[in-house]
Amino acid sequence: MGCISPQPTLDNKSFLEETVSVESSRMKAIGPNYKEFIPPEMVRRMGRIIKMGVAAAKTSLADAECQLPDAIITGTGLGCIEDTEKFLGNMIRNNEEFLTPTAFIQSTHNTVSAQIALLIKCHGYNFTYVHRGFSFETAILDSLMQIESGQAKSVLLGAADELTENSFQIQSRMGYWRQKPADNLKLFEHPTKGTVAGEGAAFFLLHEKKNSNTYAVLQDVEMLFRPDSPEEVISEIKLFLERNGLKESNIDLLVLGRNGDIRFDSIYDSVTETAFPGVPTCNFKHLCGEYMTASSFGVWMASRILKNQQIPDMLIIGKKPETLKHILLYNHYQGINHTLILLSQA
Amino acid sequence: MEELIEKLKREVIEQLNLEDISPEDIEADSPLFGEGLGLDSIDALELIVLLEKNYGLKIEDPKDGKKIFHSIRTMAEYITEHKKA
Repeated sequence: MGCISPQPTLDNKSFLEETVSVESSRMKAIGPNYKEFIPPEMVRRMGRIIKMGVAAAKTSLADAECQLPDAIITGTGLGCIEDTEKFLGNMIRNNEEFLTPTAFIQSTHNTVSAQIALLIKCHGYNFTYVHRGFSFETAILDSLMQIESGQAKSVLLGAADELTENSFQIQSRMGYWRQKPADNLKLFEHPTKGTVAGEGAAFFLLHEKKNSNTYAVLQDVEMLFRPDSPEEVISEIKLFLERNGLKESNIDLLVLGRNGDIRFDSIYDSVTETAFPGVPTCNFKHLCGEYMTASSFGVWMASRILKNQQIPDMLIIGKKPETLKHILLYNHYQGINHTLILLSQA
Repeated sequence: MEELIEKLKREVIEQLNLEDISPEDIEADSPLFGEGLGLDSIDALELIVLLEKNYGLKIEDPKDGKKIFHSIRTMAEYITEHKKA
């Protein structure tokens, strides 16, 4: 796996031993020295999201000891928004004249997976899904289908989103973010309107067979668009677990996309109290912030927990489980895109 | 001419986002493409826009591009010659 986030997560030798606290309404990803991952003639043209995606993808491949996956499948909510803004800004400023190609070329949503393919010379299936809060989950679905159908033995699956000044300001006006700066590590202590904006890139190498490098089994994914009530979500969770031969009582840990926004967090309480009483939970958005593909950070976290068979003290809410076989990730984006991801011990 | 060459070096570095390269690293007579700075076809388009935007010069015949963009000095000579006219 490879994960770039507002936390020091790229080093796979440590797992949230240090956490970054920011007193702000936004969290910026901690980038490595990108020149260690990307040749200088390529890195100079890349926006931040591309650099984050490529570095996370290369880390993931190295971690899995894989040189060439059969497919590259990514999800992104807003894609290369920095280059899009640059290109559109130039159009406005220069009265639609003097348009340069670089920002335009790099502004397309599939640039991240394309650049990864160019760098590792992967000529296989290459797809990018852009479905707001379903982007990463749709990429998971396609990846699982590629492997289950035998089209691919290994898939580099990932997600990336970047936060720019403009996108932050626009979404701030839409009421997405907290008006007063908040300490991200105390995000859930004072629930209010809005949350903390975030960004990041996480990549995973899925393989049809497990080996000594395997972190977890990515069992299944489900997406619910605008469910009417918590009861509908609970009912869907039941069906989702049933189709995977599980019951609610088999879930050892819930990883939740709670984000401290008073308008959206109550459904997590309803679901956990009704369907999973006594099951310990972990939140993750106080570490990575909110963005359309934030669940990829949750999958990264859950996979590390399954491999380590340990939950960091600062994450767990409730009693530590004796075994960690199955983790259910439940996330929603703006109350619209609800998603379930099931991970099991390898 | 030397003043224009130094200005062009700074503009090329900025336009092409040539990280870790300073004006002193660019030889006025070194080729911009292939060897030397190792620029490519996308950079060529960026340089065409630079000439048009910063100096009001449009390259009418694409065949001239190879000669004009051979080096910083050839660019400077083209600007000097055509600005006068």
